[in-house]
Amino acid sequence: MKNTLKITRVETDLLILGGGSAGLWAAHRFAECMPGRRICIVDKGPRDWGGLMAMAGGDFEAVLPPDTVDDWLEDLVYYFDGLCDQPLMEAILSRSAERMRDYERFGCEFFRTPDGNLRSVPQRGLPHVRLYPARVKGRGGELMAKSLVARLKDAGVTRMGRIMLTDYLARDGRVIGAAGFHCVSGEAYIFHAGAVIAATGMGGWKTSYGKNTPTGEGLRMAFAAGAELQDLEFARVWNMPRLFAWEGQTHLFPLGARFVNRMGENFMSRYSPVLGPNTDPHFTTVGMALEIRAGRGPIIFDVSPLRDEDMVLLKPQTGWQKLNYEKLCGLGLDLFKNNTEWVPQMTVSHGGIRTEIDGSTAVAGLFAAGTARSLEPGVYAGGFALMTTAVTGHMVGETAAAWLRNADAAPAPDEAEAEALLERAFAPLGREGADRLTPKQVLTGIQTAVFPHDVSIVKNGPALERALAEIRRIREEDVPRMAAADPHYLLKLHEVVSVAFVSELFVRASLERKESRAGHFREDFPHPDPAGPAWLLVRHGADGRPVFARERVPLEKWRVPLTRCYQDNFAFVERKAAGNVQDRPS
Amino acid sequence: MIKSIDPEVCIGCGACVRICPLDTLRAGEDKKAFIAYPDDCMTCFLCERACPSGAIDVDPLREVLPPTFPDVSVELGGGRA
Repeated sequence: MKNTLKITRVETDLLILGGGSAGLWAAHRFAECMPGRRICIVDKGPRDWGGLMAMAGGDFEAVLPPDTVDDWLEDLVYYFDGLCDQPLMEAILSRSAERMRDYERFGCEFFRTPDGNLRSVPQRGLPHVRLYPARVKGRGGELMAKSLVARLKDAGVTRMGRIMLTDYLARDGRVIGAAGFHCVSGEAYIFHAGAVIAATGMGGWKTSYGKNTPTGEGLRMAFAAGAELQDLEFARVWNMPRLFAWEGQTHLFPLGARFVNRMGENFMSRYSPVLGPNTDPHFTTVGMALEIRAGRGPIIFDVSPLRDEDMVLLKPQTGWQKLNYEKLCGLGLDLFKNNTEWVPQMTVSHGGIRTEIDGSTAVAGLFAAGTARSLEPGVYAGGFALMTTAVTGHMVGETAAAWLRNADAAPAPDEAEAEALLERAFAPLGREGADRLTPKQVLTGIQTAVFPHDVSIVKNGPALERALAEIRRIREEDVPRMAAADPHYLLKLHEVVSVAFVSELFVRASLERKESRAGHFREDFPHPDPAGPAWLLVRHGADGRPVFARERVPLEKWRVPLTRCYQDNFAFVERKAAGNVQDRPS
Repeated sequence: MIKSIDPEVCIGCGACVRICPLDTLRAGEDKKAFIAYPDDCMTCFLCERACPSGAIDVDPLREVLPPTFPDVSVELGGGRA
């Protein structure tokens, strides 16, 4: 294999893995800080498509007057049930308005009322957290991506697509590049860089439209390089239409929409008399799952309470969302006229690379931004990711520039090691054998093990143990049997390797967290741990395998006390009074 | 999922091939696009929107996934047929 590989070598000052929001912002800021230095963005999808932001509606969260950063921080400590890195969130929120202004300067417009004021939509029943909708519903995220790419072109940033990077290259404990292959030509690539930014997005299970590209290779590669991970027990469980995809439900619930069960009952008002249907999708999804389990499904989306004057915010007017909507109407699936069935579904992982506030990881030369680092514990307010990816991307661009100013030149890669990594990555290409499996077959096996509600949504110990045994079997027996007929399938194969890695950590972490908190609901441990909130970290054991460690949230050092938990609003099981809140200092 | 690309209408510009996030489409020797990897389509409509000649039709219905409720019938909101 070694002798037949054609290797293209690329030298750059900064290598960015992932051309979505975080990667584009990192490149933009780095170019501002270090003009003239070489920047290379590599994406496994098409060049310049913008990653998941291209599929987003363009609604943006930002702290604008009269709200203050302190207001939002209080909301988030409550919303995250205490699992909030307060210094990090403060740093992010403090920069959110600047990034929104940048977007406006780039030509991206937000919705304004006739008197010229920005319109906002409060999120999840929180007092302050709100999003600012794009002016025209349908392709706001796509326009954001285009505006950033235009700036990168002007700055001379190299952008490359269809290249799957599978391994970091390291020398003396410093990441100095990455190796991978082109999924069309099959050409091998070795990138040599002064600094490397992982903007690879999250892990996930390839469930629908915008969720088919984040598969967790950024997490797997960072862990292999020595970085720590965290929050793997949190997955974004979501409510989605059974038959089609829909973007923008975060507007629908604050404006009156609701789910009803088979009897027409607005069941979320039973589970949460305070918040009712206008709450976080994680909790809505738990409610949906309990209704279906009790025989009260299917779950129907009821839009009858919506007001006509709000339809301009809700009905897609352009882009893929409009095309999707028109085609669905043609099939008798008009979301605003027909009863559509929605189902609870796990989608992507909230686990990520553990970093300092500025995006540095535990590994020299390796930085992380966006959803490749973990920022929220399984609950998610609309517009949060567009904001956090912009802010953390911008921040890490600055961090990498400052680091590179003082760093020695990156040593050259160890050629033998790089070629051995490439050889391993290419090994499944053309693999023979009657017992070989396709990536799709193995992916379906993983989905079948992880998707059941008692593993993904209303978790319990015995179901998680069964899922863990099956995922381990898949990783030991099925993953090595995967074969790729061509470089396209080789990319899919490496995605599935990462999906399996993230799946095992998801199930193990879910077993480790013996409590319910934020986006993690254990039916057998339905209350928060009275010891208070703690993060679950994934570190390298002596044999290099993942080991879990617990790190208490140092609430006593931080400004906002935990006086109440968002999950206390829900009565999915009979609850005792929460025992983990601190008394507010008098 | 992507349903069809009409070879009579496709002008072989390659726009859909370049834009597909999942590398589902490829160009043949005649430069006309074809669906090379149908299983990988994520129903994003980018190809249909990029096509200048209207040759592409994407069906809005999404892939059926392994169920969240394998033991509850479809009629009651589960995934058992």
